[in-house]
Formats: sequence, C-alpha cells, structure tokens
Amino acid sequence: MFEEYAAHRGSERGEEETGWVILGLREAAQAVALATLPAGAGRNAGLAHVRFNASGQAIGSRIVRQLDKRLTILGVVHTHPGSLRHPSDADLQGDRGWVGQLRGQEGVFGIGTADGRDEGQALLARQPKPHVQSLGKLCLCWYALRQGDTAYRPLPVELTLGPDLARPLHSIWPTLEAHADRLDRLARQQANVSFDVTNGQAKPALAVSIPLAEPGDAIRVLLEGEEVRYYLMRGGEVLAAHPGEDRVDLGVYLLLAELATRY
Amino acid sequence: MDFRPLNATERQNLITALRGNADQNRVLLMDRRDTSFVGTADEVPDEEVINAIKSVPCHY
Repeated sequence: MFEEYAAHRGSERGEEETGWVILGLREAAQAVALATLPAGAGRNAGLAHVRFNASGQAIGSRIVRQLDKRLTILGVVHTHPGSLRHPSDADLQGDRGWVGQLRGQEGVFGIGTADGRDEGQALLARQPKPHVQSLGKLCLCWYALRQGDTAYRPLPVELTLGPDLARPLHSIWPTLEAHADRLDRLARQQANVSFDVTNGQAKPALAVSIPLAEPGDAIRVLLEGEEVRYYLMRGGEVLAAHPGEDRVDLGVYLLLAELATRY
Repeated sequence: MDFRPLNATERQNLITALRGNADQNRVLLMDRRDTSFVGTADEVPDEEVINAIKSVPCHY
C-alpha cells in the first residue's frame, strides 16, 4: 500500500485523495487483511474527497474470492492531503451508516497522509504507535468503528507474513475497470466462470473462462485493455473465434449461440 | 440408534450456529450420512461483499 501510495503521489492525479478497499478474514477478535482493491482510475476524487470506482472493485472482489470464499470486506483506507491523521467528521457520518452491513457490524479504517518527519526515501518502515505505520513521509493510521459508535478508536496493527491476494490484479486494473460491469453480469449469469491473470501480447491480460457442456471444453476470452480476443477450447484444440464484438458478455453469448446452432 | 448427549462445547457450538442461522441466515452444515450437525460455513456470499463494496460512502 505504501508503494502504491507513493506511486499515486508521483502521478498526474497525485494531489487527489485515493484509497483502497480491504478484503480479508474477519475473526472474532481480529481481522487479517489479505487483499487491497484500488480506488481505480474511474474514481471520483479531488483534493478533499474520494469515491471509489465500485464497479472495478466489485469484479475485483469476485476474482480474489475465487481463492477463498471466506474473504470478506474489512474496511476502507483513504488518504488525506494534509496532516489530518484521523477520519474526518464527514467520514464518520458516512461510515457509521455503512459498518452495519459488515461482518461483526464493525469496520477497519485506514488514513494515509504524507506528513511524516522522515525526508526522502526510507528503507525501513516504522511503527511509532501501535496504530500507526510510517515509511519515509508516508503514514498509515488505523482505526475501527462499530455500529452505534460515536467515534473511531485507534486499532493496533501487526504485520504478518502473507500475500496481497489482489496484487496480480493491480497490473490489469485498467482492463478490469474497462469491462467491469459486463464481466460482473457474465459472472452472475453463467455458472463457474473463472478468471486468471495471464500474459497478453504487450502487457498482462485478464483471461476469462466459461465452461461448456463437454468436460474440458470452454470459451476463453482474453482482455487486454480495451481489446477483447475470443478462443474456443474444444476437444483439446484451441480455435480463435471472431464474433466481432468488443462487449465481452455479448461476444460470449454470440459464440454460445453459434455453438448451439452447430453442435 | 445413538442418543449420546452433546458435551458442553458441542452444545454451545450448536446454539451459536442456530442463532447465526436464525439471525443472519448463516449456513448450518449437516453430515450427509447421519444428518448430525457438523459446524457452520464461514463462507461469505458474493452478493454480501459486492453490496458492501458498492455502498462504500464517499470519504473526505
């Protein structure tokens, strides 16, 4: 998260607030964060607000949760442009109503700021307080809010060994955002649709697999940015297909219809 | 047929699971051989996660 926060600050939109949704395991006495879903290029953000691109995050959550259906949404991290290391009063108004739908009716909230004392690039992260992590100028402060609470409370954090399960998706996030709603619709309408990150022609791509009736047969779609390529996996053969459609759900249904007329 | 009484831990787990089922629609797992209670699923439905993601409020 520090790495992406630093990259964000160096980008064209670096003055804007940004953030992540956190997925992980919610246990009785603790939560284990295991994946971060970025706000996305489609976020609505400015110097003093950020609303995430939820469509990208929704399909991102489907893909991450293919690995483990116990993963749930733990909370939200967002950044502040100044030195306010605590959620604002306006954050509290929104979050109080939102945490009721989380497991345990409690959420985890992180605030990122770039007001640390260290100048330049730090090699090591520090934890000056149980709920504060810092790396160079960047700080992350952690809080919890339960339904009915009138204030956030500092939340001690500990690091443990483990993956960011969504990290492979970050390299294809623009692709996810470009096709998010149609991919989500496809995943809801077709059973056993699966997603993988794979090598594309020029950059990482998203591979979508839609199983067919015969074991091993499938429609496979490769999405690389706006580009969409379709393949038919049948009887051990891979056949390129050209339904002439960049809208991925429509392309899949055209292929299914064509297959239904032929076989 | 075995009518073995549940021990304290089994009883508590069952009560917790039944409450979870009644209050929050949590799944109860059943042993398919003898229909005995074998715990709860910690799986979270896709729609629950996605609904929460789609309702994340604007942050300031």
